[in-house]
Amino acid sequence: MTTLGDLSRYIIDDPARGAFRVHRDIFHAPEIFELEMAAIFERTWIFLAMESQLPRPFDFITTTIGRQPIILIRNRAGALGAFFNSCRHKGARLAYTESGNAERLICPYHAWTYDADGANCAIKDARHGHCGPAFDAEDHDLVRVPRVASYRGMVFGCLDPDVPALEDWLGDMRVLIDLVMDQGERGMELVPGRTVYSYAANWKLQAENGMDPYHLTSTHPSFIELISRRQAERRDLNAIRSRDFNRSLTVDGGCFTFPYGHGCVWTVNPAPEQKPLFEAREALRARVGDFRAEWMLNLRNLTIWPSVQLADSESLLLRVIRPIAVDRTEMRLYCMGPVGEAPAARARRIRQHEDFFNVSGLATPDDTTVYEACQFGFGARAIDYHQGYARGTALIERGPNALARQLGIDPLESVSGPFQVQQEIQYLPNYREWRRLIEAALARGPADAAPRARAAE
Amino acid sequence: MTAPSPLAVGSELLFREAALIDRQDWDAWLALYVPDCVFWVPTWTGDHTLARDPETELSHIYYATRSGLEDRVWRIRSGLSIASLPMPRTMHALTNVRLVEASDAVLDLEANFSVDVVNLRNRATHRLFGRYAHRLAMREGAWRIARKVVTVLNDDLPSVVDVYSV
Repeated sequence: MTTLGDLSRYIIDDPARGAFRVHRDIFHAPEIFELEMAAIFERTWIFLAMESQLPRPFDFITTTIGRQPIILIRNRAGALGAFFNSCRHKGARLAYTESGNAERLICPYHAWTYDADGANCAIKDARHGHCGPAFDAEDHDLVRVPRVASYRGMVFGCLDPDVPALEDWLGDMRVLIDLVMDQGERGMELVPGRTVYSYAANWKLQAENGMDPYHLTSTHPSFIELISRRQAERRDLNAIRSRDFNRSLTVDGGCFTFPYGHGCVWTVNPAPEQKPLFEAREALRARVGDFRAEWMLNLRNLTIWPSVQLADSESLLLRVIRPIAVDRTEMRLYCMGPVGEAPAARARRIRQHEDFFNVSGLATPDDTTVYEACQFGFGARAIDYHQGYARGTALIERGPNALARQLGIDPLESVSGPFQVQQEIQYLPNYREWRRLIEAALARGPADAAPRARAAE
Repeated sequence: MTAPSPLAVGSELLFREAALIDRQDWDAWLALYVPDCVFWVPTWTGDHTLARDPETELSHIYYATRSGLEDRVWRIRSGLSIASLPMPRTMHALTNVRLVEASDAVLDLEANFSVDVVNLRNRATHRLFGRYAHRLAMREGAWRIARKVVTVLNDDLPSVVDVYSV
């Protein structure tokens, strides 16, 4: 890693001076991307699926952790396990489809066969193989992802056996996840269908932008203007009730930061009637209380860093971030809603998702275009640091503010104020955790850049 | 001289629509659609299953009236959408046009399409391909589009997708 130089210069965190700086190299240097995959994505909890995507025994989904192919499968008893999607014999991929149901995973090459617990249950013509004692003594089972755990239906996996327990890693983000998962009396579900798209820029641009109140009025003026026109002209599309960002400029907002990279931005909802959940508000208040119901109707974006975001603003979005290369990122979008939602509310939830979040919608293409514009701009190598982590600095309260205490959370930092602050403090935990994980990997030595799943066994 | 066949009439309209999009002649393109048209690009819900109900399943684009297409055209022209500045160059190619149903009031057609797009910001190209199902309706003496369903086969989408991309 000598080519990288002194990594401590990439993140400068100096709260005494109110200075937080992120170096542009970490968005465009291929060596840093490789290090990020080994030190971050293959070392911390990565979102794999919602449990509701694989409800029955032997249901599976295929995904990745960092660069590595993974199969997540439910066994006969109903427990989830994750394995590398690669046959022990010669490496062939075992599961080909995005999702499916398979009691046995049979390799298409030489028919080695595994059960839903990853155990090798057949080696073709083993009796006639005369492989010898060394082979017989080997473990032929699938290699297991050492850690798999769920919180409120969100399944995560980690290649590092020594990662903190998922609940500890999430910390008080759990309270904010609960505000999403408690919206349905009978739980939450994903709307059938999903969209996948990629953009030619670094993954961290999405991680930031999914939490960025500052860009809304400048990146999305066409969306804002269209919503105003729909309202003024009382057009049929106004029934979608997409959010009018101009109204946000009159309300309060803020953010909370947490350990392990996580953060939340929130805005008081100036028009809660726009949310599909609003229809069920009376039952909701009776079930979860006035304060939590009000917060479910407020606007909250969560980053469970580095791989997944929940945007409870328009509709209710689950966004999975998958880095492909330093300048290529794949996005996977799902629309979430309460089980048993009234048909009209569900239809509006879907239309809101399509209107704003789809890459074929009226807002996200403007986001992806500015990500690519940033990546282009990073070509100006003479420029060292971003200037994008300052807004709201003077409003930071260390620890919980009054609102955090009311919510029952203990963040590292709290910011509350007029939405117009459009603070940038919520990105700080991303880069603190980035530095912590990168430094930990380097302390272990360059050889440790490789994942060590086998060591877990 | 004999009247052109329903297949010829329908094909001509489909080819004309493609040309109007590629020329970015948006007013003429919108005029092909009846006000109560459906424009629908469903998502895939499985390897070989498409979303069938836009009220309960996700679409890439779903409009039950022309209003949504009018929004798109307004946004393209607004100068307020960086994704539309500059507009890409596009080429629609249609083939295998089939007549499925024909009456005096309705023509149902299916076709295969591919659309090549050049993003002029970075000169990147991409191609989406799939199937069209058009329903044409006779309105005020002319055939117009009452329903267009676009099945995108390669749904690993690029960073910008709009009505001109399919």
